[in-house]
Amino acid sequence: MASEKKSGPGNRREFARTRVPLAERISSIVIVILMAAIGIAIGIKGRHFNPDIFAVRADSLQSTTAAVEGKAGTAPSVSGNSAENPASAEAPKSVAEKPAVAADASAEGGAEGSGDTPKPAVKGEPLEITLAGIKPMSDTEFYNSENLFEKIDGRAPAYQNFNVVGLRCRSFNVVSAAGSYVDVYEYRFDSPVDAFGMFALERDPKGGPLDFAPDGYSGEMGYFFRQGAVYVQIIASDVKPETLAAAKAIAQNHAQELPADDSGLAGRRKLPAAGMIAESVSFVPENVQGQAAFKDVFQAKYKFNGAELPYFIMVAAPDDAAKAWKSFQDFCARFGKVENLPDVNGGKIFSAQVFGKWKVVYQRDGELGGVFDAADETNAQAFVEKYLRGEIK
Amino acid sequence: MSHENHSGSSRLPEDSVSRREFLVRLGITSVLIAGSGLAAKKLWQPNHFVPGFEKVKGLQLKSYAPEISKVLPSLAIAHGTDHEKTIRAAMAALGGMGRFIQNGDVVMIKPNVAFDRPPALAATTHPDALRAVAKLCFEAGASKVIVADNPINSPTGCFFKSGLTAVASEMNLDLMYPETNSFAPLSLTGEILKEWTFFNTPFKKATKVIGLAPCKDHNLCHASMTTKNWYGLLGGRRNQFHQHIHSIVSDFALMMKPTLVILDGMNVLMSNGPTGGRLSDVKPMNTIVAGTDMIAVDAYGYAHLLERDIAELTYLHKANDRGLGNINWKDTLYKEVTA
Repeated sequence: MASEKKSGPGNRREFARTRVPLAERISSIVIVILMAAIGIAIGIKGRHFNPDIFAVRADSLQSTTAAVEGKAGTAPSVSGNSAENPASAEAPKSVAEKPAVAADASAEGGAEGSGDTPKPAVKGEPLEITLAGIKPMSDTEFYNSENLFEKIDGRAPAYQNFNVVGLRCRSFNVVSAAGSYVDVYEYRFDSPVDAFGMFALERDPKGGPLDFAPDGYSGEMGYFFRQGAVYVQIIASDVKPETLAAAKAIAQNHAQELPADDSGLAGRRKLPAAGMIAESVSFVPENVQGQAAFKDVFQAKYKFNGAELPYFIMVAAPDDAAKAWKSFQDFCARFGKVENLPDVNGGKIFSAQVFGKWKVVYQRDGELGGVFDAADETNAQAFVEKYLRGEIK
Repeated sequence: MSHENHSGSSRLPEDSVSRREFLVRLGITSVLIAGSGLAAKKLWQPNHFVPGFEKVKGLQLKSYAPEISKVLPSLAIAHGTDHEKTIRAAMAALGGMGRFIQNGDVVMIKPNVAFDRPPALAATTHPDALRAVAKLCFEAGASKVIVADNPINSPTGCFFKSGLTAVASEMNLDLMYPETNSFAPLSLTGEILKEWTFFNTPFKKATKVIGLAPCKDHNLCHASMTTKNWYGLLGGRRNQFHQHIHSIVSDFALMMKPTLVILDGMNVLMSNGPTGGRLSDVKPMNTIVAGTDMIAVDAYGYAHLLERDIAELTYLHKANDRGLGNINWKDTLYKEVTA
């Protein structure tokens, strides 16, 4: 395209749009018509909200769609064990066949959704249990720390506080009890100590001890224990003898198959068993008694001379234990009275009365422990001294 | 391409356009483009919702609340050991289900089926409670009873394991799972809840809405009762609201104006909620609380069923302060009965 500009009448510069090809004219008209048509089409379609068309934030779908595959697993298998289990036969189709909410809901739900999309859990080995009398009721579900809420919702933060890494779970039909099933949950944590911490937090005070898993217990409808970095929950659907027997068999099988690992649990093993109130055992990862130096502390309550004494133990490098002991002594001195007691069997001891409560704290090599918040100094001191002498085991 | 121009001549080639013509065409094209855009915008926005475009409003739920009675109680507390008898007693104390449900009503019952837990663990609405309430609805003349919830876990698994699928099948209830097109944008002037996706399909048919919730401990907000139960109607990544859990739960008292709420305190999940997992977490309290004011119902539940100090339940105070209910349940017209 070219043009020449020359003076026209009245000194106006002549402008001449040179030849406009027919193709260009037609294209222009088509573009304008298309634009108008698109505008009208959007207007008409937009009158009726349809998430399939207007899924603007499709990426936010990932938050829940990724888990749908696993979530579907909680529904009884349609093709599963209907012959053995009438309940399965009546079960609705699984979510995989019937699209569930999460997909489109997430797409629509981004108005206030500024958070990052949780990563889907990586599928691991399916949870297989080869025991007579049980059959898988569903696929194995996998969750990671980020999407754990999709399985346990508001309970997830409690697990995240103890560095949960993931959850693998599956349901199993009890062949001999129609409609009954057992849920198996394997929460995997960063370390055995973390697993123990969460396990202890949820401990059933009425639970009976298990002979096949240290610290484990059975409730009226389930079995709960920690093995290595895994916190295992075996939950029966009811209290039928067949269901409970299946749950127990699964629990025993699991305790045998999961590798034992008590790393970081030396403090737990040092807690004496005599007089211990089993359900009171807990693990506090940091800042015990307001002390930054008190980390990975195990606590339990003991019945002693008619009193209930809170007791704690921490295992660290000898230097760290000594520094923590001294630091705690100084801390107590700022808020109360402190007295050094005679050494017992290589252990340094001080007692302190702070805000009306007694603390008797010892340090021996890399072990730091003692009684805290006792109402009576005599009992607290006697307990610590007996422990150091090896009279309480 | 070339052409000739003759100096001093106004004659133009036949296939060329003048400056005037060019400007006119340009103007027309611009007007068409702008007009198309404006027309599309005008036609599209009023009826459409796109998350993130806050000026655009979604649906607002209508109120299903009954007329306020100065004679009949708004809160009923019934004690008993049998679900059906106790629920019947509570409803009788309120004036009967006929006060709330009339002939031909389509009743939507919103249970709490958040988890795939067995009924004994009290983490979900008990099947016996659903059966009793549905039966009362039919007796009052309901033409249909819809049961709907949007569990964060697999809906089919949750309904099945909680025992509600069996009840729905037995009583011919319309069990409504959330599906791809079940959601619509909700618009609310809540403290936290503004625009969000909402499980709307059941509400298209329902003429009455009943919330039927278990009474249970909750790790994040202390308790999950009838107000928290509406959380299950939200879609999307609703766990984001956990950071403002008390605000969002108090917003539900603004979002939902149900016909009735029923708090099942026959067996209460006292600890390790909302999932539970141990029978030792469950305590039989043998109580049903029903009423039209969910805040009053929950206030009773928190103090007398979970046996905790009402002062710590922030979301009830927030709702009370916003005039969305009465936390002082004793100030309401209430009746306590034994089944």
